[in-house]
Amino acid sequence: MAELVREIMIDATPETIWPFLTEPDKHILWEGTVADIDPRPGGVYRVLVRGEFQSAGEYVEVVPLQKVAFTFGWEDDGNPVQPGSTMVEITLHPEGNKTRVRLVHRGLPDDAVEPHGDGWAHYLERLATRAVGNDPGPDTGEGGTA
Amino acid sequence: MDAALKALAEPRRREILRLVWVRELPATDIADHFGDVTRPAISQHLSVLKAAGLLSERREGTRRLYQANRDEMQNLRKFLDEYWTSGLERLRDAAEAAQRDKEKR
Repeated sequence: MAELVREIMIDATPETIWPFLTEPDKHILWEGTVADIDPRPGGVYRVLVRGEFQSAGEYVEVVPLQKVAFTFGWEDDGNPVQPGSTMVEITLHPEGNKTRVRLVHRGLPDDAVEPHGDGWAHYLERLATRAVGNDPGPDTGEGGTA
Repeated sequence: MDAALKALAEPRRREILRLVWVRELPATDIADHFGDVTRPAISQHLSVLKAAGLLSERREGTRRLYQANRDEMQNLRKFLDEYWTSGLERLRDAAEAAQRDKEKR
């Protein structure tokens, strides 16, 4: 089961960054066009991506100025990564006047990776994996489109 | 791009692309592969895939031949590769702008 890690250094304090993670009006400034989020354990996480793709989940852990963790998936029929099946964790690490923001995405379910043999299926699964932020690993499979 | 992602959300359309990934096929062969789907339904799926740019159509005499459009798939892969990375970059830009506003006050 792959785990994706993304980090970025932001020239701002956790106090400045936190509202962008937890307030709907500010969330849509960086992700989504509609954000219905209630950042407390058990609260809803729904962000409409690119105006069309509904991501959905539930907050699991919220530590002010430090951490949000929520389940994550897509509501589209047929999407192998259904809501609740994966977990995203975003943490803030102050370093001087800056903050390192770390995003970890875990838990793509095994049945999301169907054992298909040929190129299209191979890349489709990679797409699905990458779409939710998991790292499908080096692309060494068949298909020959790279 | 959005149309392509939506087109992919349907399992049968993914199966169609898989069928024509490495070779061209006429619509009849594609339909034959699906025992449980009507021809009009297959025809509809082909239209959606074509409109999304994922499928190319070529005429040969009276037949229409279909093949997956791999270039468009490359674009999709790129978009999805950048999903979280670009999100965090937007977060950085927004937060840094907010920080500058705070410091001006």
